[in-house]
Amino acid sequence: MTQTFAVTLTIPDNEAFTAFETLARLGIPVARVVRADIWQFEVDASAGDLAGTISSIETIHNPNKHRLAARESDRPIPGEVWVATRDEAPATLVGGRAIPGVRGVRRRTAWRLLDDSGRDVAPHELDRAIETFLCNPAFQVAITA
Amino acid sequence: MLVFPGTNSEDETLRAVRAVGLEGELVHWSQPEKLARFDAYILPGGFAYEDRIRAGAVAAHDAVMDSVIEAAQAGKYVLGICNGAQILAEAGLVPGTGPLRRPTAAFAPNASGRFQSVHVHVKLAVDPSRVPILAGIEPGAVIPAWASHGDGRLAAPDDELARIERDGHLAFVYCDRDGTTVAAPNGSALSCAGLVNAEGNVLAIMPHPERDAWTFQHLDATRDAVRGNTEEMLAPSGGIVFFEAFARAVLAEAIA
Repeated sequence: MTQTFAVTLTIPDNEAFTAFETLARLGIPVARVVRADIWQFEVDASAGDLAGTISSIETIHNPNKHRLAARESDRPIPGEVWVATRDEAPATLVGGRAIPGVRGVRRRTAWRLLDDSGRDVAPHELDRAIETFLCNPAFQVAITA
Repeated sequence: MLVFPGTNSEDETLRAVRAVGLEGELVHWSQPEKLARFDAYILPGGFAYEDRIRAGAVAAHDAVMDSVIEAAQAGKYVLGICNGAQILAEAGLVPGTGPLRRPTAAFAPNASGRFQSVHVHVKLAVDPSRVPILAGIEPGAVIPAWASHGDGRLAAPDDELARIERDGHLAFVYCDRDGTTVAAPNGSALSCAGLVNAEGNVLAIMPHPERDAWTFQHLDATRDAVRGNTEEMLAPSGGIVFFEAFARAVLAEAIA
């Protein structure tokens, strides 16, 4: 079974802002970029309260600056792209320690591009952002809804 | 010597360049208007834009790179070291087999998943007569350097790796001190330590030859043998050969 979590910053996200500046320079009609780290855990029944465990480790989620949210799907939501390393082998440790019931962990970076009315940019603009900047196909893959 | 926010090897690289008889100057990313008058360009190591999004990706799209790309296409010499190599790959200048800024290869995160700093040797893997930027380096010459990166693993689809090897884009490979090719410490495909474009005027090398340009920087018994002898400690080391070749190329072009 896969459990998916999104970790977002509650403080200003400099990386998202840098992405916004570059995408704007490339002519993508974007007003705001939202970024999240997606963590996907392959778990068995003994995993228990995984969100609680992740919070207590504080390696991928620091409550002083992050928000941790469980995702219902193990796929991106509409308007979102996940960028992952091609052929990535799942890690077995989080913060240098094993989590009971977790067999493997994968990390992706999620991007949403919003226009000046707060809506997702058109799909072809997201595709253009992926092809020109967000994903290097030499070693990465882009996963969309 | 192009300096982006986060570049950190510009001073030692400039020192190596000046030691081999070239005149050099630091030019910041916000000063593209200064670039045109130079004969050659170096993108030194560091972490441009904190490696945000991907190592080299943001800098490759920086406005100042428009000038560097234009210069490269005009045949001027462009050298990228470490982060500079990552930027050249993201800009599509090396291996240079696809459209600009549509990378066909990458210096991707190390196989270990960690930043690694290790003394290495690299050897020329391309016919130097085809690569003007390496003019005068003996075929198979072994150059010491420091590999110091988290993203130095050449990664590309299999057909692109075959093209890199077949068409002479593999400029340097990792080797031992005797010149025998070894597995790359970062897991790089083809044991690749450096890439060059088809025209031979744009070169990307991941390890830092400028960090083994003087004996005091060299990880070898030689260093201990001369410890305490300031003159010998400050004598050129093997990495300077790389910059001497670069200088020969730049000066020959400038005179021509």
